[in-house]
Amino acid sequence: MVRRLGWVAIVCACSATVVAQRGGPPPPPRTQAPFDIMGYWVSLVNEDWRYRITMPPKGDFAGVPLNGAGRQAAAAWDPAKDEASGDACKAYGAGGVMRMPGRLHITWTTDDMLAIETDAGMQTRTIAFRGAGGEAGTWQGVSVGAWDRGDTAMSRGGFFPGAAVRGGSLRVVTTKMRAGYLRKNGVPYSSDAVMTEYFDRFDVPGGDSLLVISTEIVDPTYLMTPLWTSTHFKKQSDASGWNPRSCSSR
Amino acid sequence: MMTKPICILGAIGVALMCADLGGQTPASVATAGFDLSGYWTSPLVEDALERGAGPELADYGGFPINEAARLFALSYDASRVTLRHHQCDGYVAPYSVRSIGNARAWEERDSHTQRLIAIHWYNQTFEGHRVIWMDGRPHPPAYAPHTWMGFSTGRFVGNALEVQTSHLKQGWLRRNGLPESDQATVVEFFVRHGDHLTHTSVINDPVYLIEPEVRTTDFFRQPADHQNWLFNCDDGEQILGRAPDSVPNYRFGANPFVKEFGDKYRLPAAAYLGGPETAYPEFESRIASLTDADARAKLRPTTVDVTSRAIDSEPHDGEIHVWALRDNVYLLLGDGGNIVVQTGDEGALVVDSGSGRLADKVVAAIRRLSEKPIQFIANTNFRADHTGGNAVLRAAGSDPSVSGTFFALQFADAGVGATISAHQNVQTRMVASGRPAAGNPSDTFLEERRRTFHNNDAIEMFWEPQAVTDGDSIVHFRRADVIVTGDVFTTTRYPVIDLQSGGSVEGEIRALNDILNRTVYRHQEEGGTIVVPGHGYVCDEHEVVEYRDMVVIVRDRVRTMINSGATLEQVKAARVTADYDPRYGAASGPWTTSMFVEAVYRDLSKRK
Repeated sequence: MVRRLGWVAIVCACSATVVAQRGGPPPPPRTQAPFDIMGYWVSLVNEDWRYRITMPPKGDFAGVPLNGAGRQAAAAWDPAKDEASGDACKAYGAGGVMRMPGRLHITWTTDDMLAIETDAGMQTRTIAFRGAGGEAGTWQGVSVGAWDRGDTAMSRGGFFPGAAVRGGSLRVVTTKMRAGYLRKNGVPYSSDAVMTEYFDRFDVPGGDSLLVISTEIVDPTYLMTPLWTSTHFKKQSDASGWNPRSCSSR
Repeated sequence: MMTKPICILGAIGVALMCADLGGQTPASVATAGFDLSGYWTSPLVEDALERGAGPELADYGGFPINEAARLFALSYDASRVTLRHHQCDGYVAPYSVRSIGNARAWEERDSHTQRLIAIHWYNQTFEGHRVIWMDGRPHPPAYAPHTWMGFSTGRFVGNALEVQTSHLKQGWLRRNGLPESDQATVVEFFVRHGDHLTHTSVINDPVYLIEPEVRTTDFFRQPADHQNWLFNCDDGEQILGRAPDSVPNYRFGANPFVKEFGDKYRLPAAAYLGGPETAYPEFESRIASLTDADARAKLRPTTVDVTSRAIDSEPHDGEIHVWALRDNVYLLLGDGGNIVVQTGDEGALVVDSGSGRLADKVVAAIRRLSEKPIQFIANTNFRADHTGGNAVLRAAGSDPSVSGTFFALQFADAGVGATISAHQNVQTRMVASGRPAAGNPSDTFLEERRRTFHNNDAIEMFWEPQAVTDGDSIVHFRRADVIVTGDVFTTTRYPVIDLQSGGSVEGEIRALNDILNRTVYRHQEEGGTIVVPGHGYVCDEHEVVEYRDMVVIVRDRVRTMINSGATLEQVKAARVTADYDPRYGAASGPWTTSMFVEAVYRDLSKRK
């Protein structure tokens, strides 16, 4: 009997907690952040180095799962034509700019809106936690953010949900981008591409703080399979090295 | 009745557990874990060519390497993998994660408590099996063996599994010769987003890196077991008739492939030869202005002396530390040179006796391992840090195999004290240097081998003529398969080739090859025969191979310069050891880099 009463008390306590959480407006996303993402971050370009820090040759798209249309588009790349048509920023869209050598400046513009500025190409992406950030048809597209705590609907309903993983990632889904380049040498993504990113911060014991962005780009127009990359940045204490520069096709 | 209050307290506790604490979780706070189990495959997107077909020669762009790493890599000739002892080299843990193939992870839990003991991560390539200990155990001492996978401990922090790894073997940052030293440590973060796993590694290498090397690698979850988990490798003869002291390498500035990558992609060589600056955005705008002179400056050593940045594996705490090697064979550290003890019913057999400063503690440590007296002491050389404890250890033992023989009729003290064995030249040099007679070997041999069967093991002493001295021996416990090398091999410094005591660089290379002729690895050039160096941590053949390569390569460089008419000062100025100095170099102390180079030079000069 005593044991049964104990279980009842436990279940009641959990239920009371859940009920308490349901009252009132949800707290603003900024206060729910599992980590501090703000500040200046510098890219460490040591993966795909040749493709990122130098201009790779036309048609060199090793590692990118382009389909036939994608390969055709990459082979037709003409930087002069991009410049003439006002498309010099094609490699600086959301699908490409995070792989550019450069720095990020991440700020909360409101309690539920993040801005990611890049000095490479002087781009700004807005990530909204409520509604949608950005504009359709632009280089940066429309981004929606959410804190991803690694739990699922099933785990939330499971026993002892308090044991769920703490911390979490920033999950950003970006759509409605203007067609651009995955790599500077004209490796394409289309306006149908959907990009899902997970931002994680790792504080290395006795070392740097890293921002790692795990990215999946799904593009039915140009990619055979999703493109996965992970890109890392190191935290800076200030804006040193911040070097806004225009888009460049070459 | 206390039951109800206990229930209420329990309910409060659970309520706290149930509550969504929200907000930021401090990164340092360990948290509940997540499931890493399953089959994982890394898509070959990033660095696709490097990870698949293999990296381009001399492409080190983005690596925060120092001069020594660059010179090591430029000296590397890929033909080196045709050498028997390199054919099955595995990958070190951080490189293994970047390899092609599949991976599998699983949990190991205590069957009684269900607590998580370890997470296992198995890479198909080279069968790299990592054990990430989750039970809070400490990392082993600095004198413990190094492995391809290293020793890893983990904890869940935030939404990540944080792993810290030490005790790695020397391996590759990139398999075009770019080295990662055995002093490297790694911090890793595994984070899972549904069926997408991101692995981040941060390599710190005091020997070869200026800044930490950060890598991120993606994996996706596989629903099925592909069943091909093995990666067989067995070495064999690839080039017949090659001299045993041949290690393919390029002299500084003579690598013929430096420009190949640049020619192919229209890049100046100075752009891709690595260095921390090449990973930062600013470098992009500098590439166009880099010149051939900038490249040439990266192909040869500067004139700055560099000293070893390796961790000292000696405890230096005034105590004797014991490390179980295999079966009844143990390593004792703390008193100069390494001491090895074999125990058994017939009494202890001890190889070397340390400096003697802590001899009483050595005796006490041996007595804790065996109640039987010390019967034999074998000396690998005459130096004081290996023979200084002879007298005390001898006095603490006895040799019953002598006391009951004819010797006892002639010598009243026959069998009183342990018998000390060594090559005759050890005795000769100890006598000549006026060392107390009580510590000198009495049982000596003149030719290549001394053997005995003791404590159910066949034990052989092999004379290594003209290695670091003229009296070096290695001792092989055949059943336990432990080789004690004396100063022929250490992990702490360049070989102390003592020309005045009969040492030579060619003899040293022969001795290192002689060790390698007796070792057998267990798997992928790892494990199997245990090799105990004269100083430093417990090894297997891989460390001996790397050391042998180093001695051969330095010899080749010095010999080439001698043949070109270079003086000793010119050889020293050329810094022929530049790629190894952060690992073995010394600017002061009893054996400096300068002394090593001079010994090699003088030895080769007189043989010219």
